[in-house]
Amino acid sequence: MNHGPAGRSGGFGDTVAADLASGRVIDLAELYALDAVTDDERRAIEEYISAAPVAERTSFFERVRQSRETLTRTFKAEEEPPADLFHRIVAQLPAQLPAQLPSPGPAQAGPVPEGPTDELAKARQRREERRRPAGTRRWLAGIAAAAAIALGGVGVGSYIADQNDPLNQVVRADDVREASVPVAAGGTATVLVSSSKDALVVKMNGVPAPPEGKVYQMWLIPKDGSAPVSQGLMDEAALSKPAVVEGIASAASLGITVEPAGGSKSPTLPTVAAAPLGA
Amino acid sequence: MDTPDAPAVTDTPAELSQRLTVLLGQISQGDRAAFAEFYRLTSRRVYGMARRVLIDAELSEDTTQEVFLQVWQNAARFDPAAGSPLSWLMTISHRRAVDRVRSAQSATDREARYGASTQDIDHDTVSDEVGSRLEAEAVVRCLGTLTETQQESVRLAYYGGLTYREVAERLDAAVPTIKSRIRDGLIRLKTCLGVS
Repeated sequence: MNHGPAGRSGGFGDTVAADLASGRVIDLAELYALDAVTDDERRAIEEYISAAPVAERTSFFERVRQSRETLTRTFKAEEEPPADLFHRIVAQLPAQLPAQLPSPGPAQAGPVPEGPTDELAKARQRREERRRPAGTRRWLAGIAAAAAIALGGVGVGSYIADQNDPLNQVVRADDVREASVPVAAGGTATVLVSSSKDALVVKMNGVPAPPEGKVYQMWLIPKDGSAPVSQGLMDEAALSKPAVVEGIASAASLGITVEPAGGSKSPTLPTVAAAPLGA
Repeated sequence: MDTPDAPAVTDTPAELSQRLTVLLGQISQGDRAAFAEFYRLTSRRVYGMARRVLIDAELSEDTTQEVFLQVWQNAARFDPAAGSPLSWLMTISHRRAVDRVRSAQSATDREARYGASTQDIDHDTVSDEVGSRLEAEAVVRCLGTLTETQQESVRLAYYGGLTYREVAERLDAAVPTIKSRIRDGLIRLKTCLGVS
């Protein structure tokens, strides 16, 4: 931990970019937790930290967490909201329960349109209605979707603002394991696996966009030899973002295939990439 | 305990955390009564912060509404191991309020915000409960360990919704200086309050 300011400036540069370049990301934790950075700076910090070594990531998030606890205990302005506000909120709740399973059911990968929360609620409801029988494995979401769902459309790139976001959970897990596998079309898929969080994060690096009219589709291949279970699609837009796959305990490996737009019910072989999840 | 307008904090922070954690678990199962109770315990905090950042009552109501809709939808994502429920809630609330204030407000309003954000923290409402009185005393004492400029920088960022660069402009100070004031101020507070 580097708390001792070396001088009045404590070693900081003029810009966040300069601080990242000089390896001071951890010292930005307090500014980040305080939302005292612009959206672009926040994104730059998040991109940097998601690619940083596990130890650095862990220290960063630990300091973010402590800062947030500190702010919550320090700034305690209270004011009684208007009496009818709660009823207005209840009137907007989706007509059905939030996810009964620990997951919201299969979601399309890729960006979810941002919009008012009730739009999201509707989208969620549509997904719920499409939900496959219980026991169906969980979903994959591009960060945009994760962000929109996790933060009600606060904005793409804000996923790390939610310390409980699944992506964040995986990258900070004590038991996170990292593996990179080659992708047939070029580039690599980096997979971060955490058994304790029962989830993994996939990040494509230098992988070309799927051919016209095709998408990448991700699958979990169960240990018991049953049929692969789709975890969602990745189109060109989703390729640049990390994707989260949850509910991996019973899977032997993760496979990625090329499928017609809209995805397939079962994988078209050969897989373009496969990562064993052997715990 | 059933009065809908009871003060939000009636427990020690630890007791409140425990209650809110249990309630979030119930909310994630779609329990509306738990949601109402969670709202009762926390809405003064959420709305209070929104008012301090946004000033405008209507904007603050909208923001509060968005925050609680997120609570309803995302309760299942809360993980007690990753922080306290109140911290989770206030993180979401602050982000919403700051996004709003940066996108929606004119320069005139910004001036008003600077004024509001320089108000003393000691004026924040504190309930009469012994637990929260002790906590409030600790906060005041720990804030006293910060330099005046550290306090001012942190407060401008938190209640003013300012970026570190805007804080630097506001205080006519060098950007790196402001960054380290905020960092050092928060670390000092954290240490004094014993946040681990």
